[in-house]
Amino acid sequence: MPLDMGAIRADFPILERRLPNGKQLVYFDNAATSQKPQCVIDAMTHYYEEYNSNAHRSNHTLADEATTALEYARERIAAYFGTSPDQLIYTSGATEGINLVAYAWARENLGDGDVIVLTEMEHHADIVPWQQLSIERGVEVRYVPIDTESFTLDMDALEVAVADASLVCVVHISNVLGVRNPIEDIIEMSHATGARVLLDCAQGAPHERIHFDQLGADFIAISAHKMAGPTGIGCLLVKSDVMEQMAPFMTGGLVIKSVSTEGTTFQDGHAMFETGTPRIAEAIGWGAAVEWLDQFDMDEVHEHINDVASWTAAQMREIPGIRIYGEPEREDSSGAVSFLHESIQSQDLALLLDEGGFAVRTGHHCAQPLMDALGVPSTNRASFWIYNTMDEAEAFVDHLQHVIGRFS
Amino acid sequence: MGVLRTWPEHLDPVVKEFSECFDSMERYELLFQYAKRHPTPLPPDEWNDENQVHGCQSRAHVICLVDDEGGFVLRGGADAQIVQGLMAVTAMAVNGMNPSKVAQMEPDYAEAMGIRSSLTPSRANGFLNMFRRVREEAAMLV
Repeated sequence: MPLDMGAIRADFPILERRLPNGKQLVYFDNAATSQKPQCVIDAMTHYYEEYNSNAHRSNHTLADEATTALEYARERIAAYFGTSPDQLIYTSGATEGINLVAYAWARENLGDGDVIVLTEMEHHADIVPWQQLSIERGVEVRYVPIDTESFTLDMDALEVAVADASLVCVVHISNVLGVRNPIEDIIEMSHATGARVLLDCAQGAPHERIHFDQLGADFIAISAHKMAGPTGIGCLLVKSDVMEQMAPFMTGGLVIKSVSTEGTTFQDGHAMFETGTPRIAEAIGWGAAVEWLDQFDMDEVHEHINDVASWTAAQMREIPGIRIYGEPEREDSSGAVSFLHESIQSQDLALLLDEGGFAVRTGHHCAQPLMDALGVPSTNRASFWIYNTMDEAEAFVDHLQHVIGRFS
Repeated sequence: MGVLRTWPEHLDPVVKEFSECFDSMERYELLFQYAKRHPTPLPPDEWNDENQVHGCQSRAHVICLVDDEGGFVLRGGADAQIVQGLMAVTAMAVNGMNPSKVAQMEPDYAEAMGIRSSLTPSRANGFLNMFRRVREEAAMLV
């Protein structure tokens, strides 16, 4: 059944927005962050208006309501990702989730002689923590290259790289190329050699239904804000037996069983890693977001996004001077179209597109090793999501042609 | 916005030309033209790590110096034409000025020109990063 685009768009008040120059907003920067449906905004507002209170502390009515809502959100989010709430650690987002693995698991379990495998496609969030660990602990970091013709990972090189690895960290869907990596094969290959697997699903979670228990990865890092949820919250999904190998990372209140002047004993499970006042409103908002997403068949959502991106990419390929990085037309691509024009610099092009109301990203997308592999300093990127329409794509291509005709 | 203005009088015709543009697209078109009219350009073969303005989405490079008569000179280059155009206008403004005056300038002329995108506080804003660098270097040249 096709998606009811009118009903979907009606859930996002911001899509009615006009820019200061009067142009209708067309939001194609979804890989940076998605827009939020009214139900998410309402859930967060309702918390602040009706039961704002700290969670897991006091015993009064508001505190009980806030605690109940925080933990109910955990249940809903964990269920959405096909796992149990005890395997979900709230974080500020995927970046903190990856850092949590680096600090709480890797520093406890890896050292000199261990190998961590990354890919050239990784976001800086999945590179820098491992480079820092390498400096600190002497861990070797290896990078699996990409094939710059097909824009896919060199799987032969990956197979060689993981042979003696202790940890394999792979991005599920590239934020630049929109390419979906064969994560199922990578997990199988890595586990066969005894390596743990960390998936960066910041871009994957908005585009397909992730089932943590079925997938079998040891760690999955996710951000809420790219999948209709608020900024400032995400999670690290961790297999319970792996969580037992983790030590406290950030310490303070709430993560403890008891503290005396002699020392501290810590909570078990996810509670050991969630110190300080929780992101209560954000968790509630994210819970509302996954409930909103749960009404859709994500295969249909993916097909819709892929249709819009494929059509846009095909039209753009006809425009002289445009080069596309990635293959948005592939069925498993996620709706990111990265491109450059031969004579209009990317930042200039982004500003000129903005004048038409089109919000796209420009820059290195926090993926400089990938930019190096592609041989470019930056790209423009139009990234599509559930509420984007073919009419918007047509208007975008028209404006792009106009800009190129006028400025190149 | 503010009554105070920090740009020199000789820049007024340039500011007027931009402010009279029909819309932003026309303004950007004019900036693309100004990008080719930088009075003291810094060609790409002189770009290096030392003169790079960091934090820009585009590549931008500046060298600030004082000429024989004590006047400030801004040499600059950028791969983005909008940044290069703003750099050209900035050079037209500051070249020949006393460095102490340059160090106190604000980017208010860009606002008066109607270049909205030049004013966002984004860390990736090429123009603002370039402007701050010029101001810092001017302060050091005093």
